[in-house]
Amino acid sequence: MLVERGSDIGPGITCEGLSRIFGTGAARIDALAPTDLQLDGGRTTAFVGPSGCGKSTLLRLIAGLDPPSAGRVRIGAETPLEMRRRAGLSVAFQDAALLPWRSVRGNIALARKLARMTPDPAKVDDLIATVGLAGFEDRRPADLSGGMRQRAAIARCLATDPQLLLLDEPFGAVDELTRARLNQELPALWQARGVTAVMITHSISEAVRIADRVVVLSPRPARVVADIAVPLPHPREKGPALDALIEEVGAALARHAPAPPPARIAS
Amino acid sequence: MILSPARWRRPRTDWLRSIATALVALIAWEALARALAGTYLIAGPLEIASYLSDHAGLILRATGWTALAAAGGYVIGNLTAIALAAVAILIPGAARLISSLALIVFCLPLVATGPILRVLWGPGLGPQVTLAALAVYFTTFLPLQVGLRAAPPNWFDLVRSYGRGGWTALVEVRAMAALPYLIAGLQIAAPAAFLGALVGEFTGAERGMGVLTIRAMRSLDVAGTWSLATIAAAVSMLAHAGIGWLWRRLDDAPPPLILASLPDARTDRRWATRLNLILVVLVVIALWWLSMEFAGLNRFFAKRPDDIWAFLVTASGAADHRTTLFAALGQTLSLALPGYALGLALGLGLAIALLMLPALARAIMPLAVALRAIPIVITAPLVVVAMGRGATGTITITAVMTFFPTFIACYQGLKRTPAALIDLFESYAATRWERLTLVQFPAMLPAFFSAARMAVPAAILATTTAEWLATGHGIGGLMALTASTSDYGMLWSSVVLLALVAVAAYAAIERIERAVLRRYGAEQLVR
Repeated sequence: MLVERGSDIGPGITCEGLSRIFGTGAARIDALAPTDLQLDGGRTTAFVGPSGCGKSTLLRLIAGLDPPSAGRVRIGAETPLEMRRRAGLSVAFQDAALLPWRSVRGNIALARKLARMTPDPAKVDDLIATVGLAGFEDRRPADLSGGMRQRAAIARCLATDPQLLLLDEPFGAVDELTRARLNQELPALWQARGVTAVMITHSISEAVRIADRVVVLSPRPARVVADIAVPLPHPREKGPALDALIEEVGAALARHAPAPPPARIAS
Repeated sequence: MILSPARWRRPRTDWLRSIATALVALIAWEALARALAGTYLIAGPLEIASYLSDHAGLILRATGWTALAAAGGYVIGNLTAIALAAVAILIPGAARLISSLALIVFCLPLVATGPILRVLWGPGLGPQVTLAALAVYFTTFLPLQVGLRAAPPNWFDLVRSYGRGGWTALVEVRAMAALPYLIAGLQIAAPAAFLGALVGEFTGAERGMGVLTIRAMRSLDVAGTWSLATIAAAVSMLAHAGIGWLWRRLDDAPPPLILASLPDARTDRRWATRLNLILVVLVVIALWWLSMEFAGLNRFFAKRPDDIWAFLVTASGAADHRTTLFAALGQTLSLALPGYALGLALGLGLAIALLMLPALARAIMPLAVALRAIPIVITAPLVVVAMGRGATGTITITAVMTFFPTFIACYQGLKRTPAALIDLFESYAATRWERLTLVQFPAMLPAFFSAARMAVPAAILATTTAEWLATGHGIGGLMALTASTSDYGMLWSSVVLLALVAVAAYAAIERIERAVLRRYGAEQLVR
């Protein structure tokens, strides 16, 4: 379903025959097998899959940060480049990608500067409070823990009011307790506004907790092996319905798990 | 090679230790001078102090003139380096051409360029300023090139994810990431500018320290020569330390030196390398020829490429010219090569020795960092006076010139081994020798090779300066002779030949570096 620009709901994403191959000859790596995908606007889709399967590659192709080897991506009616040029999307990178010489506040404000938006200190401070970094506004990334850095990166993502959020393991370095809290609070921030979100995670429970749809990818080259809708209302509490979905996603992953290497260690 | 701009905070005991070491060195110096009194070799600190107070006005004025020329060249050279590095980043296709051109200009022998600049500029500060600029721009350009690329790819993805391009990445990411590298370059450039100005003054300036140095040396004025060398060293060390201090004032929490390793994406296709070589040669010849024509310079002293070709190949006496030139070059290389190799070996050896003896290192290193700031070529007359006008003196000065940067680069490279790796080795109770050979030595290789590359023009400068000022042998002597007899064909040919030799040596070391690093540390191939 394509959503027109200017409407309240974020744009849908269409991938047609999208594939990515790195290198040539003996060094050739097929990261993503030709894939057709249709992601609804205003919804959150989670991609889960084994490590190194090509999840991040898919996200980078959607953002247009890597060129596809074949196929194309449309975000609403636009190409990824057009979308980026008008600052319609934000990417949360796996390692936070904070600039070490800028404070937390400076890093978050940078997103608005890069997006050619007017500075909005009040909004920046609001976001800092939302991700639980109040009191750390003037600290530099080197003073923060890994989890705090990722929270700053998420605040930076939201600072430009994007229509599309691309999140690459956004909570990977966050401790378990904080992660549970952020899983409850942060999705509400974008889901209430109708933002389209694409998230990559290796945590099955996180995917089922946050997303409206969970897409399971195979080991490299990544192919879609299961596509599971999560028709539960937010906020999602622990319960049999959630557990059943977690099991379903887990089973799909296990069916396509890479074969274990032959045992070679002599006892 | 990137040297850290400075050690940010040093405990007080380290300062006391350095001061104690310096005092011991001073006393030993004075004792040696007294022991050798009457041999016209060494002037001690007390003799220097009395000479300086006797000639305070003269030396102060001379220092002022030289510092003025050095400062002018410093500003021009560094601005040029920054502009070149920025263009090389913004126009990736031009990066290779710009680097090659920058290297060729860096390899021009300062000693021979001096007399030519003197003729082109006439009297005044022109040649000194130009030579100072030439002496500094490469030592800033090279670290900047690395620094501007020293950021993880994600930071650029962030910029791109908001639809912004190369200029924004340069301003928001690269400029700040490169700052520590720039400061390191600017610090090294300070003594280099002073050295360039001095060499410029050797070639016939009316005033300045270079003029006094030549005068003192010709009249075997030992106290004067040592006093001038001391002043030059002091000014250079002050400039070096001052830039470090200014930087610490500007930013008390400096961004760490990020040694991001870039994948060696540029696959070295043979045809691309050859094409680049042809392009560089054509551009150099075109720039040389066009600049002379547009400036309307007289062919008598401003030789064009075809004049050099005629002089060495087609003119009636070309065979004789070639014989003279290559004989002189052979003589120079027979001294420059052993000196260079000796300097590298001593630098590497002392760095390893000090790593094994940390207590000694803590006392010696601050002194060595300070001594690095001395434009060593100004000691050439002293060394030649001390070691004699034979081969030993010239080899010594070349070795000393190569030794200091190699030693400091190797030591800092050895120390930069990741702490986690050292911990790993500790956890297996590895011996110091295992730690050195398996971790620290490979981690040091990039630093060693970049020092070895940068030392090539420095070694040639040292040898030719010693020949020019003292021995009269080799291509340095030939250039001094041809400059005074206005034999500009031979002078220009010397410049071209020496530059070609330096570029070839630089490229050869780069090739060895790539081969070794590909084997022992592919992730360390930054360039």
